[in-house]
Amino acid sequence: MNFVETTEGAKYPEVIRLDKAKAAHKNLISERTQVEADGNTAAAYASLQMWRCMIYPGFPITPSTKWLEFISAKVASGAVGLKRIKLLEAEHAVADYMAGAAAACRDLIVSTATSSVGLDHMTETVRSLGASGLGNLLLVNVYRATANYPLCIEGDPSDTLAHRDDGWIQISCRGKQQIYDTMIQAPCIGMHKEVMTPVMPGYYGIKDSHRNGRLVLEPDCEIHEFQDRWIESCDKPGLINGDTAFGNCVTSKYFQGFKLGQKKRLENTFRVLEAIGKDFEKTFGRPGLSFFEKINWPSSGSPDLVLISMGPDMGTLENIIASECTRTSKRIAALVVRLLSPFPFDAYAKLLEGVKAVAVVNQAYHHSRGHLTLDISDALMRTNGAHPVLASFFAGLGGANVSQTTWQKIIDESLKDLAAGKSSVPYRFVHEGATL
Amino acid sequence: MEILNPDRLLTEDVLEIRGDGRAGGGLVLAMQSLAGLFIQDPSLHVQEWPFFSSARKGAAIRSFLRVSRKPITIACEVREPQISILSDAAAAHFVDFAEGVPRGGVFIINTHRSPEECAKHYKLSGKVLTIDGDGLGKKFLKLPIGNISIFAALIRSIPLLSSDTALKSLLENLKKRRLPESLQKANGELFKASLQDIHEGIFDYSTPSDHQVKEFDGYGALPLGAQSMLRLSRTNLTSNYARSGSRVVFTDPQVKCTGCAACIINCPENIIRFQPDESRGVLVTGADFGSYCKSCRECIESCPEKLFDEQPYEEKWDDIDTGTGQ
Repeated sequence: MNFVETTEGAKYPEVIRLDKAKAAHKNLISERTQVEADGNTAAAYASLQMWRCMIYPGFPITPSTKWLEFISAKVASGAVGLKRIKLLEAEHAVADYMAGAAAACRDLIVSTATSSVGLDHMTETVRSLGASGLGNLLLVNVYRATANYPLCIEGDPSDTLAHRDDGWIQISCRGKQQIYDTMIQAPCIGMHKEVMTPVMPGYYGIKDSHRNGRLVLEPDCEIHEFQDRWIESCDKPGLINGDTAFGNCVTSKYFQGFKLGQKKRLENTFRVLEAIGKDFEKTFGRPGLSFFEKINWPSSGSPDLVLISMGPDMGTLENIIASECTRTSKRIAALVVRLLSPFPFDAYAKLLEGVKAVAVVNQAYHHSRGHLTLDISDALMRTNGAHPVLASFFAGLGGANVSQTTWQKIIDESLKDLAAGKSSVPYRFVHEGATL
Repeated sequence: MEILNPDRLLTEDVLEIRGDGRAGGGLVLAMQSLAGLFIQDPSLHVQEWPFFSSARKGAAIRSFLRVSRKPITIACEVREPQISILSDAAAAHFVDFAEGVPRGGVFIINTHRSPEECAKHYKLSGKVLTIDGDGLGKKFLKLPIGNISIFAALIRSIPLLSSDTALKSLLENLKKRRLPESLQKANGELFKASLQDIHEGIFDYSTPSDHQVKEFDGYGALPLGAQSMLRLSRTNLTSNYARSGSRVVFTDPQVKCTGCAACIINCPENIIRFQPDESRGVLVTGADFGSYCKSCRECIESCPEKLFDEQPYEEKWDDIDTGTGQ
């Protein structure tokens, strides 16, 4: 049998016939279609439409369960050909299964979905996978508050934010269309030969996972064409087509070197993500991946106040931002976080230069001023000239409603800080227009 | 008083609908079916989502829907709906279903009572539609479940929607949920019968202070670490999670209980009463239905002698908090 020697062991290129795997794909969507779907269904559709994604290990947990149910129903109906679902006994087993399946064939994608303590239960393996070089892993994280004292089934990103150091590329989405589109682009980044890092797209439980609306589905063949343009055959051997092993023991002489390599690969996301996003937009006509979304950003000059947060509640701000500019006579803009890890500090620093005040709204419990506040604070340290006044807020924890009056209160408090030249408190909790 | 026109609202601004009910009552299905119907019109933008409260059957739930001819970016809860639904009369124990509804709004209530009775009792000003969804559900589905009737009343209240298209959409939704064909058909018949059984009227019984949106006034004193009383405590009665309109009963005048203990094993609340019996092992004598039964029907389904049954039970209006503070 022909083989190629690599530094990771011999590789047998003829063992896995990807052309046959691709030919076995049964198209789910043949022409651009509009359907009624919620966020979980949107993510599941995308997972099913990729020819490279054939095996779906899973364990149900609210609010991600419908992802698994939808895939399960499609597999059972025969609509998706040879694709298989593997229901395991717990999330840790799912993560272990993913490690084996992704390492078996590095050109195929392995996908699952989980939430909250489900992700926590995967931690041991997820941390290993973050360093594994297996970019063909797609773990959908449906955000749900992690603390079980009290248990809350609704969405806050405390689960994904607790896993910032696991080594995965974390991308936050809002709205079912963005969820679907992100799923299609995510493996292109993760499997890029300069990145080779697993991807964890995420969206808010209930607020997005269960919000129904219209979703545009692209034909399978166009998704394949797009992904194949970006996903090259992996030159590393896998468990089936190679004499290789994963996760060997090293000493302190080398460990740090591995971590440096992992970090560099992760940071290559900065170079790859926007190019893939631009190609997506050119191909499908909708915005592709970016570091952040801009709302009401002025075409020239800098805003007086920039609000930064993530998730669907930014839509409520978007709805009133123009009238808030009139009410306050200030130029107000917003940034919606998309790329969480690695955090694009320099891109934020460049954009926020000249801005007078920045308000960061955190939606997850944090020991200090808020996960996002610390990241933005770091970014602001890199801006040239005077640093903007930074105000930090908590709102929407455990999926709490973030109303228009809450956004107005956040704007008012931030402008007070701006007038005073600094924030009077390290952080504020805001709910229904009141500071707590 | 001008009655709000849903068709005009969704064209000029946004039509907002809010439903109150209890988990397991099918309210979310009714709202999803409505969303599915709106989505068929490519000129409409739609968002529909639930609020589930605690994850258990019988818990208070809310459902929201926004529809507009303009793109919808707003994502927060609906606070001042133009159409408000009370799909389970007992949900009025927990919430004011009419809170924030403007004068002239539309109210849809699952009840055997008349629109005027409801308007007076709940202090409503606007168009009130009532339908005995539980009664119809029992007739067609053998279950007191009123969501299909609520869906029919929603179709009636929004002139833009046609009942034929609505029926088609409903059946598609049920098929998508993999309901057996016989049940899909029964639901279709239920929908058609519901359209014939809607009562409506325009009334003006609210005062300006009724149903105002309550200001958030803090969280109060919360228990440390969410520590709470036991579910089977004297004050935390799980019967509050039962469906309204019926109660489970146990009758065994001929002492047919075989002592199989299926009801004892299957009851999630552990409330089946029994005594030792020499020949049977155990003899079931009843259950604490009034305090802890949440009408899950496990005993009814598991008893081989059919000694448990669900019988009509009328919510006493005196017990219901109208949310008006009166």
